[in-house]
Amino acid sequence: MSTINTGDFTKSTFIEFKGEPHQIVEFQHVNPGKGSAFVRTRLKSLKTGKVQEFTFKAGESVAEVSIATREMQYLYKENDNYVFMDNTSYEQFNIPAAMLGNYVNYLKPNDVYQILVNGEEAVGLRFPKKVRLKVTEATEGAKGNTVSGATKTVIVETGAVVTVPLFIKEGETIAIDPETGTYLERA
Amino acid sequence: MKTWRRLKEHPELWERYFVREKVIRATRSFFEKEKFHEIETPILIAHPPAESYLDVFETKLLDRKRRVTPAYLSTSPEVPLKKLMAAGLGNCYAITKSFRNMETDSHLHNPEFTILEWYRTGADYFDIMNDCEKLLIAIAGGTSLTYQGQKINLTVPWERITVADAFKKYAGVNFDDFFSIKNAKKIIRQKGYTVEENTTWEQLYNQIFLNEVEPHLGHGKPTIVYEFPGELAALAKKKESDPRVAERFEFYIEGLELGDAYSELTDPVEQEARFKKELAELKRLGKTTYDYDHDFIDALKVGLPKCSGIAVGIDRLVMLLADTTDIADTLFFPAKEEFPLPEKP
Repeated sequence: MSTINTGDFTKSTFIEFKGEPHQIVEFQHVNPGKGSAFVRTRLKSLKTGKVQEFTFKAGESVAEVSIATREMQYLYKENDNYVFMDNTSYEQFNIPAAMLGNYVNYLKPNDVYQILVNGEEAVGLRFPKKVRLKVTEATEGAKGNTVSGATKTVIVETGAVVTVPLFIKEGETIAIDPETGTYLERA
Repeated sequence: MKTWRRLKEHPELWERYFVREKVIRATRSFFEKEKFHEIETPILIAHPPAESYLDVFETKLLDRKRRVTPAYLSTSPEVPLKKLMAAGLGNCYAITKSFRNMETDSHLHNPEFTILEWYRTGADYFDIMNDCEKLLIAIAGGTSLTYQGQKINLTVPWERITVADAFKKYAGVNFDDFFSIKNAKKIIRQKGYTVEENTTWEQLYNQIFLNEVEPHLGHGKPTIVYEFPGELAALAKKKESDPRVAERFEFYIEGLELGDAYSELTDPVEQEARFKKELAELKRLGKTTYDYDHDFIDALKVGLPKCSGIAVGIDRLVMLLADTTDIADTLFFPAKEEFPLPEKP
């Protein structure tokens, strides 16, 4: 198994932590009060989706896990699982909701996504930084309200509720950051 | 997008940045009431205090014949304030820019930051704890504030716990057993951390402190952690009844470390020995080295009165009051916009 130095961590590095595969979802270099450098991370278990914090010594070597990415089509939701299909092999994979976090709100049936595969198991999804979704329900922005920064909520085609500026109208397509669920721009 | 452009598009963001002026105004007014002198300390200096964990910014001073003298950007106003106290100044404080290199890539650090330091004569670290409690209430304008959805009760006294008690309580480690590096390595290995040949005692200590202790600090109420290992404080006084630890504390609110205080070391002989040790360590680590400040040792020889002081990050206070977890959200011109780092492959 190859190893990776904490200095080479990225947001999509996969490591073995306490014997289980984890994704580094966040990392921060820290210099505690007085002393040498450390790297604080948030690690998402690829088994349970649970996120925990761990602080490594800067420069420490950690076992890296190789995770493959395969393009798959999102089919439907079944109980707590999201079902995807590899369109070349027609294999189907279930991903538990816990592994998808906030992303479940922006999945569109039949769209193709980058699925992370660990061995035979689909363990997550590499979402783009932006998703474009159509606004299906929006109220008119109150007339005469010119206060900048004023917002309203709309519903997009996946059913998710998004806070947007007043000028967004029904039928328009908007870009959303799927990680945080925040409105980015008119697409 | 640069911050000034974002402000143009989202004028509602101005409010968050204006928190800074409120924090500074409240701080000045607090110390005015306490009758402290505000001192302007130099930013361009010849001798940074020797602290091996810091990376200094190095520059050059040129005379009219372009002869070079090495110069540095100040890492803290501590030494000039102490010199003036040796001269008889009394209680004093400074709010100034300080510079620490290699502190990029962090939500909590900006290489150029604003530091508040104050020193109280005749005082020890417990007096500074009381100051912190009062100052925070003055800045917050009351005894409660909300940070990241958590209500924080600032009512005095705050929670106070020694590092030894915190190790026992949160990590199940008897701190007496932890002082020898051999034992510490054994304890750390048993806990499943990685230990290498060259892992230092300070790294072992921080493995536990950062992973098992710090996450418990400052929830719902600020926590003062005190009596840190003496190893980790170059300018702090050792505790008389237990010289393994220094009379030093830090305080935390919701995991955010806001200040680092100690009873000041006033002994010139020990101070000089520690500077030499720190400089040797800087050399070993291959960091920028410099001569230590002999004038400061002279000031200690003349006599620094018994005193205690603290460094508090103004930017961190602004983060707390502006309810943000990223220091860049409090700066109009954060270093990461001025010096964008190359993207990692």
